Formats: sequence, C-alpha cells, structure tokens
Amino acid sequence: MSAPQPLRPNDYKTALKPVWCPGCGDFGVVATVYRALAQLRLPPEKVAILSGIGCSSRLPGYVAAYGFNGVHGRALPVATGLKASRPDLTVLVAGGDGDGVSIGAGHFQHAARRNVDVTYLLMDNQIYGLTKGQAAPTTPSGDKTKSTLYGNPDPPVDPCELALASGATFVARSFSSDMKGQVEILCAAIAHEGFAVVDVISPCVTFRGDDQYDFWKPKLRSLPADHDPSDRMAALRYCREREVLTTGILYREARPGLVARQQVTRAAAGYDPAQPPSVAALVHSFYP
Amino acid sequence: MAKKLMKGCEAIGEAAVQAGCRLFFGYPITPQNEIPEYLSARLPQVGGTFVQAESEVAASNMLYGASGAGCRCLTSSSSPGISLMMEGVSYIAASELPVVIVNIMRGGPGLGGILPSQSDYLQATKGGGHGDYRCLVLAPSTVQEAADLVMDAFDLADKYRNPVLVLGDGLIGQMMEPVEFKRSTRLEDLPAKSWATTGCKGRERNIINSLYLDPEVLEAHNWKLVRKYEEMARTECRHEFWSPHGDADVLFVAYGSVARIAKTAIDALAEKGVKAALFRPITLFPFPGDALEKAAARVKHVLVSELSTGQMLEDVRFHLGKHRPVSFYGRVGGVIMTPDELVAEALKLAGKAG
Repeated sequence: MSAPQPLRPNDYKTALKPVWCPGCGDFGVVATVYRALAQLRLPPEKVAILSGIGCSSRLPGYVAAYGFNGVHGRALPVATGLKASRPDLTVLVAGGDGDGVSIGAGHFQHAARRNVDVTYLLMDNQIYGLTKGQAAPTTPSGDKTKSTLYGNPDPPVDPCELALASGATFVARSFSSDMKGQVEILCAAIAHEGFAVVDVISPCVTFRGDDQYDFWKPKLRSLPADHDPSDRMAALRYCREREVLTTGILYREARPGLVARQQVTRAAAGYDPAQPPSVAALVHSFYP
Repeated sequence: MAKKLMKGCEAIGEAAVQAGCRLFFGYPITPQNEIPEYLSARLPQVGGTFVQAESEVAASNMLYGASGAGCRCLTSSSSPGISLMMEGVSYIAASELPVVIVNIMRGGPGLGGILPSQSDYLQATKGGGHGDYRCLVLAPSTVQEAADLVMDAFDLADKYRNPVLVLGDGLIGQMMEPVEFKRSTRLEDLPAKSWATTGCKGRERNIINSLYLDPEVLEAHNWKLVRKYEEMARTECRHEFWSPHGDADVLFVAYGSVARIAKTAIDALAEKGVKAALFRPITLFPFPGDALEKAAARVKHVLVSELSTGQMLEDVRFHLGKHRPVSFYGRVGGVIMTPDELVAEALKLAGKAG
C-alpha cells in the first residue's frame, strides 16, 4: 500500500506557525517553496531543507521535508556534506544575507566553485533582523541602523555579483511578494544541475522600515526578452542596480555538479558502480 | 562622576572608553548587541574606530592586529561567537598581546538559547582554544562591578601582555543598575609598549609572532607563559567573602549573577535559623583557591551553585581535596534558580529540610 502522493502546496506546510513579524517578506518566500515543491511533484521524503542562523533560517521548520537547522554561516558546508552522502535528495538551503555573504561568504564562493548540487535561497533583507537591526553586508552605504548611527560607512555586497564572480552556474534574483515569478525561478533552480543561487529580496518591515514594499515595488523590472542568460558579462550588468531591481534568471550554464564529478573521480580510481568490489576483495587488495 | 542608570552592556561599553579603549571589533549576537551598538555610537565621538566584522573569527583577528600595534582594543560576544573567536585568542595569548574580551554567556552547547548561563566557565578558565595558554578571567556580579572590572581588565592585559576575559551572563548584560565610572584614563598617561609594532626607526624592529619551529625554543616559550600565569596566581586572585550572620554552617560558592541569588538565600536562611555565608570568586583564573580553603575550613557544608551542570565545581573540588564533601546545585539552559531553591538545598544540607 503506498501513501497518496502529496502534490498540493498545503501538503508541505507543517503545524508550526511562523514567528516572523507581520509583513515580513519571508512569508512570501516560504509560500513559493510550498508551490514549487508541489509543482515539481517532489515527495517530502526526497527533499531536505537546511539553514544557518537568522530570521530566514527558521524556514526549514515550516516545510514538511527533512529539516536541518545548522550553524550561523555554515549552511552550505552542511548541505555539501548532506548532498555528498545522499545524492538522491533534493537539497535546498535557506538563509539570510548576513548568514550567506558575511560570516558564510567564504563558503558561498566555494559552494559555487564546486558547483554543489543544491538550491540556495538567499533571503536578502539588507539587515540583521534576528539580533534587532544592525547593518548587514548588504545594507546600502549611508543607511542608519543600530550599529551605523552616523550612516553605514561601508559599501554593500551584491549577492548575485558575488555568485557570478565565484563561478555559480545558476544565478537569479526575485522579489518575495512576486509569487508567480518566484515559483518559476525556484522550479528552474531546483531542476538545475549544480549550485543554483536565488537572491530573493525579502523586506524586513521591522528594522528597514514599514515603507519597504512602497520602496521596492516601483523599482521592480523583469529581465528584457533579449537577455542572454549564458552571457556572464550581460548578467553582471543587472548587479549593483540602484534605481531599479531586475528580477529573473540572470545567468545559467551547464557544467557537471559535485555529484557527477565525484562519479568521474571514482571511475578514475577504478571504481565501477555496476560491479562494486566485495569487502573480501577490498581487504585482499591490501594483502596481495 | 555622578551615578547613571545604565544597562550592563552599555556600562561595559562606556567603561572601555573611559579605560582608554579606542577600537572595537565585533559581530552581532544576542544577548550582548548593546555593547557593539553603544560603541558604534560612542567610539567615533572620541576619535575611535568601530568595525562590524564579517564574523567572530574576523573580529578576533582584527583584535590581534590592533593589539599588535599597541592599541587598547576590545571585542565582545556571547557563547557561540566566543567559540568562533578562539582561533584568534590562542594566537593572541601565544604572541603575548593585551586584549580584552567580554563574553555575555548564554545557554549552550551548540546554538543553545539566548538566556543567561554560566556554561562557558571551563572554556574561559582552561584556555578555550588550542595550546597551553590561559586567559585572566574576571567575573562581575553587578553592573557597577562589570564597569570596574572592564577598566581593570585593560590594565591587567597590559601588565601581563595577556588576553583578559570578562565573563558575564545575560542577566548582568541586560539589567539596569546605577553605575559610576570611577576613573578616566588619558591615552597619553598609558605606559609605553616597547614590544608594539609602531615603526622601527631608531630601534630594533618588533615582530609579532607565535611560530616557533625549534622544539626547544617553543618549549621555553611555553614555560615562560606558565611563569606568567603563576605570577598572576600569586598577585591577582580576588574574591568576596560575605558572612553577615556570624559563623556559618553552610558556605555557598557562587560567582556572577548566582552569587547575588545566594546572598538573598543567605538572608532568608538566617530567618530560618541556619547561618550561611558566600564565597564569591571574582577572578576565575587565577582561581582564589587558598582563600576558598580558609573559608571552607570554618564551615560544615560547602554548596556550589552555578548556571551550569557543574564547571566551577571542578575547581572547588580540586582546591578542597577529595575528602571534603562538596554539594552542587545547578540550573541550565537559561533557567535561573530562585533564592527559594538555594534555601531548600541549604536546609537539606543543614538537616533542617521539610
């Protein structure tokens, strides 16, 4: 007897009520995760969602799948370990901009370089929300926060630019309340072989101001129809935008992921998955 | 200077400024964000620098660099962030540099929680990072004492060229109490640092280093550090012995916030006819073991209480010897014992329970 296949978005909801502030962009993001998983017909037991620490890192608790709440900034190494040991699972990583491009920035670059087969949902609110409002690596220059009373002296990092420069093979940007656009991007990201980065602008109305949606919505633009997603330099033109925010799949490239390359390495070492050596043969190989 | 009502974390920040600290490096973590937030506003006013680091690993290494140049500098964090800093702290201790680190402890292990705890005692007092080294550890139990000890911490760090850790907990960091800043250090009055990398014109160059590939040289360096820790043990041990009701039967041993709870319990016990006293270590390393031994010699029962599963307990048992029974009462995870719980434990020991 097999259980019925859960294919409706609500089937991916857990009993936990999100503790995000009213108006938080993360509500929109988790709704798109439910929809994308349903659309891709992924059974919950074939999906793992990992996170680091931050407001957005609570997301795994709200999705009926395998969940893993890891270490601040280390969600990508934990996900790399999981994918290496369970290549059959669809692995999603959720985390904030502080988690991903501040404390975890080193890992971000190496996950991109290794083309680890995971989807990285970077929920970008441009502030440290969980610790109540300090400047993040994505906070624009000059902005006043609890740790930049005189205006942020540092320039921000653009996560898409960092991903492109680090060799990520799928880079997209979306906006948390654009349900349709984001589900489309997320489905493509999950289906992509290798490291797929989705930078979701997910407003923090508590510490960035309750006018965040009024601020962002007039800036939103879709990628022009003639954009060539295989052109990295063209993709870079949509980074560091100030007056507008262009959403869509900025860049996509076919390159073997970590799992495929591990198979190549095993083949080079003489391992044949069709005929794995017996334990006796392995032991014997040490005592010829 | 007049007394001001301040949150513990903010008082710590102001105390650092008054002690001549002009550099702060840190990363947000609850429950100590008010320290970096306060200093991000305050340091630029006095010509200082606040840098929000990309991680605690970065913050501890920024501290390494700033202290190498001879500047008074500070970082603060809470338990998981302090674990990340241990790389820098080990190198700073090895390179014999003066830095001050504030740990506003929260429950662990792992991510744990954000409520008060004392479960980093062993990490703080036994080294924390890799290698044979120690930090001098000061444990305040009031906001005033936190401010005083932060000022002392900078002097002690300079005196011993060693990291000094101020070990508080979420209660000390978050509560408000009247505080007075008893002195203000002028930068020009600070003793010169002949070892600092300040430009070598006219003198031999100074090198900040912790690498000794020659085993005999490294061994000598290690023993030199040990002699420094022994000197701290001879001259820096601090404690408070509080015995307001005469010769006590029960001796509480507690530090930080728990010591305050014990004081309330001691007064309540006096009303029930049980005389109790408190031994409160103020330096956790060096541990005031000789003074504890004297205090314990006059009582029937010793009761250690901590917001941990029994960490300082190991030092107490070490100093009192295996033949001396030592009882323990701990709460963990951010749960704080009430005075009534300590009263009940003491009554059990005194044979007057129920």
